[in-house]
Amino acid sequence: MTRLVQSSLSIAIYLLASLIGVVAFLYPFFLPVLPAATMNSAHSNDAPLVLSIVVVLCFIALLVEIQGQQLSAKSVALLGVLVAINSLLRFIEVAVPGPGGFSPIFCLIILVGYIYGGRFGFMMGTLTLFVSALITGGVGPWLPYQMFSAGWAGMSAPLCRPLVRLLRAEGKQAELWLLMLFGFLWGMLYGIIMNLWFWPFVSGPADQYWQYGISLWAGIQRYLAFYLATSLLWDIAAACGNALLIAVVGLPTLRALRRFQARFHFHYEPLV
Amino acid sequence: MKLHPLAWVAWLLSTLVALSVTRNPLYLLIVLLCIAIVGNLSPKSQTRYKLPTALFVLLLVTSCCFNALTVHYGNSVLFRLPEWIPVVGGVITLEAALYGLLNGCVLIGFLLAFQVIMQVITSQELVGLLPPAFYPIAVVVTIALGFVPTTIQQIGKIRDAQAIRGHRLQGWRDWLPLWMPLLIGGLERAFQLAEAMVARGFASNDRPKQIIGDQIALVCGMLLLLAGWFVRLVWGLGGVGIGAMLIGALLIGLTLWRIGKRSPRSHYRTRRWHLNDSIVLLASLLFAGLLLAPLDLLDRRSLYYYPYPELSLPEFQTWLGLCFLCLLTPIVVSLLNNPKEIGS
Repeated sequence: MTRLVQSSLSIAIYLLASLIGVVAFLYPFFLPVLPAATMNSAHSNDAPLVLSIVVVLCFIALLVEIQGQQLSAKSVALLGVLVAINSLLRFIEVAVPGPGGFSPIFCLIILVGYIYGGRFGFMMGTLTLFVSALITGGVGPWLPYQMFSAGWAGMSAPLCRPLVRLLRAEGKQAELWLLMLFGFLWGMLYGIIMNLWFWPFVSGPADQYWQYGISLWAGIQRYLAFYLATSLLWDIAAACGNALLIAVVGLPTLRALRRFQARFHFHYEPLV
Repeated sequence: MKLHPLAWVAWLLSTLVALSVTRNPLYLLIVLLCIAIVGNLSPKSQTRYKLPTALFVLLLVTSCCFNALTVHYGNSVLFRLPEWIPVVGGVITLEAALYGLLNGCVLIGFLLAFQVIMQVITSQELVGLLPPAFYPIAVVVTIALGFVPTTIQQIGKIRDAQAIRGHRLQGWRDWLPLWMPLLIGGLERAFQLAEAMVARGFASNDRPKQIIGDQIALVCGMLLLLAGWFVRLVWGLGGVGIGAMLIGALLIGLTLWRIGKRSPRSHYRTRRWHLNDSIVLLASLLFAGLLLAPLDLLDRRSLYYYPYPELSLPEFQTWLGLCFLCLLTPIVVSLLNNPKEIGS
């Protein structure tokens, strides 16, 4: 019974944190279509700032929940070393920039999330961004949003599993194709999401930038115009890079991760 | 004497607030000068994080050109691009270029402020700032930071070994013989570390007990935060909304504190809090409060500068300009305390 309550509460925390994250990223679209009286209220101007604080608090709550469930000594050691390897990839990327927005870190985040589960994937995504920001000097106001988005990439990776099971494709080329497609999608999604956090704050031509009072459809149209003009090519490079990297290292990496997943299931029993 | 990391975080927050609230070029100049002085004269913990000057120039030029080319608004027309060119076609104005330049200055200020922090606080000190409730995450980050140099060494060894075998990096596929030994070597080290940690009793219970009370508090806290945000925005009930959000934040904070209490923390070398730290903290909080507090008594109109539709000279209020000098507190306290340390 206790376990059931805990699981239900855990699911509620995940859902709420994700809902607040979605609200935080998508508010530029629905905020202007709220009742007209609201638009002129004094609170609509500081809504983005207040929402940023709400997002940070929810992110903290989600981390508390995840670390409480997941982090045993074995997970801590495994996560620490994998984060170190992935952070180093980002360090290399900063020193020798790849094409467009390509970053090699997403390959391992996705593969680790796919094999070790969504919670582990979330931690892998968030901590990779945190540690790599520390070693590359990339700490900035963008960091919480990057951590949240990369965490989502790792957390959503196990969604590929049912499809792989359905296709009976474990260890086969079809599994690799699915993960490549997933990596491609996250290459695009990461760019789309990361644009959204600063889009309401920047100024520019009226047909590309956010304003209070525009309709939902106008907001989407403006964002699309902004995205096409500034980010599409950049994100396509990121998406193709992810897919290509998974194609090259995907299958052997999956085999290694699966082998170590089995090895990590050891237990120490007291002799007396 | 080095300042406490928390005092530096307070300084960073007040700098970010200062950069966010004003586009007045005169105040921006003061903020940038303060950051540069603090960055140059503060005792360094690590100096490797230095952003190239070319990046700042690029940021300024890009921001200025982008705004000038895409915002066709303002009275001082510099030149005109053919209307048929999408996005950039139209009048190019001095006002748009200046506003882009100001935005570029703000971005540079952000980057410089974070650069100062990365120079004066070590990674270990940053990890130490994590609340006790996040000790597993702090351990993961410490392991990761500790393993980075080892992993760099391993990459060198693998590259040398593969080079001896005649391996050359020519295409994407050539990375695989480097990647797999790196990954498997890393996983082996993780395995050994896990064995050592389990043998020494770290987190001896494989599945740490979760307390339902904590989970309920987190759920309620998040619900209150979300509800408060909506109530404040949709129904315009500012007091109720803020109240709900404060209770939500308090619930989450209390849960963190409770969890932290359950995992006692020991320090190898305790960092003491000195009078200087209190002065910097207080000055930063007062300054940020002065800029943000909803007090009608304070005349802060000169903070807002908008060059459209016609360029005008920015206003300057002496008392406000002097307040911006609060950002120099870390240097002033160091100067008063030990002038020899400055710039070391």
